[in-house]
Amino acid sequence: MEIFRLALRNLSRQKKRTFLLGGAIAFGLMIVTLINGFAGAFLTNISENFANLAAGHIFAQGVEKSASGREYELIRDDSLLLAAAKEAGIPAKYVTKVSSFDGNLVFAGHTARLTIDGVDFATETFLPERLVFKEGGLAGMKDRQGIIISDPIAKRLDVRPGDRLLVQLKTYSGQNNVGEFAVAGITPDPGIFGSMAGYANKAYVNELLNIGSGEYQTLGFYLPSLDGMDGYGDAFYKAVKARAAVFDRDAAKKETNPIRAFMNQGKNETWAGVKYRVYTLNDLLAQVKQIAEVLKTSSLVILLVLFGIIMVGITNTFRIIMYERIREIGTMRSIGMQRAEVRNLFLSEAMILALGGALAGLAVAGAVMAGLSMVNFGLSSPLFIILKNGHMTFRLDALTTAFDVLVVAALTLVSAMLPARKAARLDPAVALRTVK
Amino acid sequence: MKRISLTIALALSALALAAADAKPDFAAILRQIDDNADFGKQDYTAVYSIVTEKPGENPSAIQLKVFRRDEHNQFVFLIQKPDRQKGQGYLKIDENVWFYDPESGNYSHSTIKENIQDSEAKNSDFKKYTYSQDFTIENTESGRLGAFETWILTLRAKTNEVSYSKIRLTVRQDKPLPLKEEDYSVSDRLMRTTLFLPTYINAGGRLIPAKIKMIDEINKGTQSALSILDVTVAKLPDTVFMKNFLERAQ
Repeated sequence: MEIFRLALRNLSRQKKRTFLLGGAIAFGLMIVTLINGFAGAFLTNISENFANLAAGHIFAQGVEKSASGREYELIRDDSLLLAAAKEAGIPAKYVTKVSSFDGNLVFAGHTARLTIDGVDFATETFLPERLVFKEGGLAGMKDRQGIIISDPIAKRLDVRPGDRLLVQLKTYSGQNNVGEFAVAGITPDPGIFGSMAGYANKAYVNELLNIGSGEYQTLGFYLPSLDGMDGYGDAFYKAVKARAAVFDRDAAKKETNPIRAFMNQGKNETWAGVKYRVYTLNDLLAQVKQIAEVLKTSSLVILLVLFGIIMVGITNTFRIIMYERIREIGTMRSIGMQRAEVRNLFLSEAMILALGGALAGLAVAGAVMAGLSMVNFGLSSPLFIILKNGHMTFRLDALTTAFDVLVVAALTLVSAMLPARKAARLDPAVALRTVK
Repeated sequence: MKRISLTIALALSALALAAADAKPDFAAILRQIDDNADFGKQDYTAVYSIVTEKPGENPSAIQLKVFRRDEHNQFVFLIQKPDRQKGQGYLKIDENVWFYDPESGNYSHSTIKENIQDSEAKNSDFKKYTYSQDFTIENTESGRLGAFETWILTLRAKTNEVSYSKIRLTVRQDKPLPLKEEDYSVSDRLMRTTLFLPTYINAGGRLIPAKIKMIDEINKGTQSALSILDVTVAKLPDTVFMKNFLERAQ
């Protein structure tokens, strides 16, 4: 305890130096904490935003193979899938049945390419609850050929609600088709991903795709949260597999890009009837997850590099401290202080610096995160996909943070160890004779 | 005697009228159109120059060298111009069409239904015709296009895998050569008109139009003019229809 008190007193004797050393440690830990906080929220935010864009967390697609070897994504009868979902106990907040196509909208010489999702506005609540209009509104969707587009697309085409435009597309089997839409509503710019999507009545989308009115392409289950998504996905896959032919999800999940693996599975196979693909948002975002992992690994590398530099500084500073206090060490040793106590005194100073710097670093990181979280980047920001409602969010894992603090403390102790041992080994008589 | 002469005269007139009304075998005409564009055991090589006009844009030009082996339903298109696209190419192996980009050295999957670069021409326009295989004749009528008496055949796709569900094909009455093709969407809207100008190149005994005009009927003002040059039917090495041909053809 006496050593600890002495260490505190020694540190307070050179406030500027202590502040600079502690500041360097604080800065290093702050940077690493910010990266970790960002990486922690990155995947969650992307997952939640993608869940909204893809209208679900767990998905199923039916795939038919024609005699000529072409694959068609189509669910003609979903009773089997819904029964499987019931058996898997999926707590779906919304069930979405999506028909969609990539179309080229044409109006008075202007063109724009976008994905048009078919929505049953009479029964589906997922999308209508989320739509905000800049012009027009849902009333226009009473027109069977109504379409809702985003502001950037409306500007590109130079259209307003009520204008009628053409759309070029391919049917589910790849034939060319042309339809006509009436602009019902224009939504504010929803950002880089949302601006590429438009919404139309499913009945008309199905007609353009040349599929039956009750048919669609993707069944989605929107969960109350991301928790348990993979478990429900696995249970759903098992339940579908018990009822029908499925693509091998377990094999696909082992690949870097499970969705591409699913696609490739179909290329080399032939089958009759329908074969189902079951996947989750995590499968869709497998490569994004890798980015989060890379960010976390990078933060550890940054931590080590920063502290490599800081360690050199700490070692040099403690050598200077030892030189400055050489006669003091001689006096303390002469009046009975043991070598281990001298060494511990130096190490205690280093430990106080490390923990104080770490606490300060965490506090500053917390303040920076709070400040950044308050900035509204807007829903039209290109960063939209990594934001939550236009705001940056951070999520820190307690274990990772504790690990980082331990790494900082250990590295600081290692840096101080050499000067501390040297100070402990000083001969008291030599130390007392030393003239600075 | 007079009565017999009158009877014969009436019979001959009736036969003449019947002959005038008699319609040809349109299924055979379709087959002849297909056969005329099918080089069978011969290999087909030509240079295709395509100039595309779009409203508000400067015309863009692209030149392709086309290699076809119809016997095995294979083709290779190698882009020669413009310089920034030189070396890019399309290759059909089995049912797959691959697009090769020399900059990345990668192949990406394309389809026979996709347009060649930014033009109105599709990959399928450059392969052999398969009208008789893909379509049934729904209606026939006679007409006139320029100096030519024509048959107008309305064709309906046999399956939903054919690019256009309906085609109106205007064919010369004197020879089984198409003059105009109108392509319709599933919703029965005219999407594209192709005019085969009646200037022909004789390639191994087959007549191919030297100039073709493709008009986009949806994007008004967009059209492509295709000129066919340097046609030969000389045998090509098998390696032309392999992936590494595109890689080496820099």
